[in-house]
Amino acid sequence: MRLPRIFRTTPFRLTLLFLALFASAAFAFLAYIYVATAGEAARRTDQEITREMRSLVQAYDRAGIAAVNQATIERAASERPFLYLLMDHAGETISGSIEESPVEEFDGQPTWTTFQITEEDEQGRLVRNPARGLQQRLRGGEILFVGADVGEDEAYVLKIINALWGAGALVVMLGLAGGVLVSRNVSRSMAGLTEVVDAVRNGDLGARARVRGARDEFDELAQGINEMLDRLERSMAGHKHSGDAIAHDLRSPLTRLRARLEVAYLDVEAGKGDPQEALAQALTDTDGVLKTFGAVLSIARLQAAGTAPDPVLFDPADLAADIAELYEPLCEDKGIDFAAEFTRDLQVRGNREFLAQALANILDNAIKYTPSGGAIMLRVRRRSSGEVEFSVTDTGPGVPEADRERVVQRFVRLENSRNEPGAGLGLSLVTAVAEAHQGRLELNEGPGKVGEMGPGLRVALILPRA
Amino acid sequence: MRILIVEDDLEAAEAMDRGLTEAGYACVRAADGEEGLAAARDGEFDVMIVDRMMPRMDGVTLITTLRREGDQTPVLFLSALGEVGDRVAGLQAGGDDYLVKPYAFAELIARVEALARRRETGSVQTLLRVGDLEMDLIARTVHRQGKEIDLQPREFQLLEFMMRHAGQSVTRTMLLEKVWEYHFDPQTNVIDVHISRLRSKIDKGFDRPMLQTVRGAGYRLDA
Repeated sequence: MRLPRIFRTTPFRLTLLFLALFASAAFAFLAYIYVATAGEAARRTDQEITREMRSLVQAYDRAGIAAVNQATIERAASERPFLYLLMDHAGETISGSIEESPVEEFDGQPTWTTFQITEEDEQGRLVRNPARGLQQRLRGGEILFVGADVGEDEAYVLKIINALWGAGALVVMLGLAGGVLVSRNVSRSMAGLTEVVDAVRNGDLGARARVRGARDEFDELAQGINEMLDRLERSMAGHKHSGDAIAHDLRSPLTRLRARLEVAYLDVEAGKGDPQEALAQALTDTDGVLKTFGAVLSIARLQAAGTAPDPVLFDPADLAADIAELYEPLCEDKGIDFAAEFTRDLQVRGNREFLAQALANILDNAIKYTPSGGAIMLRVRRRSSGEVEFSVTDTGPGVPEADRERVVQRFVRLENSRNEPGAGLGLSLVTAVAEAHQGRLELNEGPGKVGEMGPGLRVALILPRA
Repeated sequence: MRILIVEDDLEAAEAMDRGLTEAGYACVRAADGEEGLAAARDGEFDVMIVDRMMPRMDGVTLITTLRREGDQTPVLFLSALGEVGDRVAGLQAGGDDYLVKPYAFAELIARVEALARRRETGSVQTLLRVGDLEMDLIARTVHRQGKEIDLQPREFQLLEFMMRHAGQSVTRTMLLEKVWEYHFDPQTNVIDVHISRLRSKIDKGFDRPMLQTVRGAGYRLDA
């Protein structure tokens, strides 16, 4: 049999558990109260009976049986709550407020007994009340019994116990109701999240959990789920975009390659033309495709790993100097003025190879777009925030502000650079490297327009302090 | 020169065999690691070309085993895994060079050649001589026909590498890897510019150019 849903929820189960704990505690408490109160009441009754008995015995010792007889008769008629019975040595009643002694076997020693008496209550009904009594032989052989009704004490204890039971029942009911209420509330909150999870499982990445603004753990969870989904959606969109872009960027050169080979084949078949040039070109095309593929693979691996592999601690100025040394002749060849400025003794932690490649890509781009007669500046410095910044500033045409965000994405090349060589992956790889080092890439305007040149571009690769 | 090709891609092995045979090497082929191990134990080879990922016994295990047996034949690893970590693992296992697939055939030949010749120069040299070009590794000076040539430190390293591999084709990638110690592919051919600078220093003003460009491959220093 399946329980209704509400009884299967965690909060309801927790409520039940706490109720059970509470009920056990309450029961133990009741038991203790009962034992303590009932015991106390019986002891007090016994003390009072003993005291009464003693006063009558003293009266006997002082003035004999007549005085005791007198006293029992008077006291039985008074408001005193005791029962009396004075008997002769054979057990025949002399006087008293009860007809016969409840003590059935009497050997002459003081004897306690518990018995029942029938009385009239306030409404005139007959009730049987519990009572206690003490019987003992007087020095002259007569027998005296003193008892007391303990019904009132017991009734008091019973009343307390009943009240406690009532309170317990009330608490259990309130607890159950509270449990149901809490479970409903929690279930509603959970249902929202479950719905989102179901929607995502069924392929709707756009589903989002509602954040109620209560700032509780459900809101935190909802927020966490939403952020996770945002990231997942972005990454999926990125994959889809890059999938399309890879298809595009690989398909065009592959199409060209195929056409070239086909034409060469037909030419050779027709006995005209030398296939050598076509083959050489085909090889160049293939290399281009492989280069694109390699870059895509590197980016994908970096993005999948999230961190750069094999990080080491090193001086960024050393790395920049190495790369500057590699590229400086290229600038000189193209008639570009190259300058470098490094702040020494900084430290970065990262994968030297990837960072070298990132710097090389930035410089490659700068040299590609800076016309002869321009200038390029490579700089390493420490930002006031403590971050380490590699920057390359050129005096090329720059990138319009509106496009800067786009050029660092995978495969994007601006229209006017469509015919330049390069797979358009240069800055995307730099971005991937920066992100794998918990850093970022910033694009800004260069030194501005000077004559025909400018406004230039300033590309900064910023890494966190080591 | 005898070469052992351990490669499970039979078509790739066939192409390698043909190309290397044409270049004057005698090739023996093995289709997996165990076959390769048996072949290597059986015969004397000058170079082994070993694919890293193969059925039955992978390339790293194969080379580790051979090295433990005392076999010092130079090994060129071929692999589709090109990350720095993979490279290091390959070299630590006892590989002497590492080439990432897919590769240009000229690259493979150049590297095999470099490995095959490496054995011949066992002793530590302090003086390199190629034709009328002399390099003193201790004084760090270079002379051609007795005339001192002034080189930057990197140019010196570049020329040293070319001189150690005189008469062999060396590719741009090899130079970037062995002289600059970078394993990435620059978008532009920065190496060409460095070579042309070096060329202008060692060849300019002399009757015969030594630093040759090899079409489709790279460069070669001829005596």
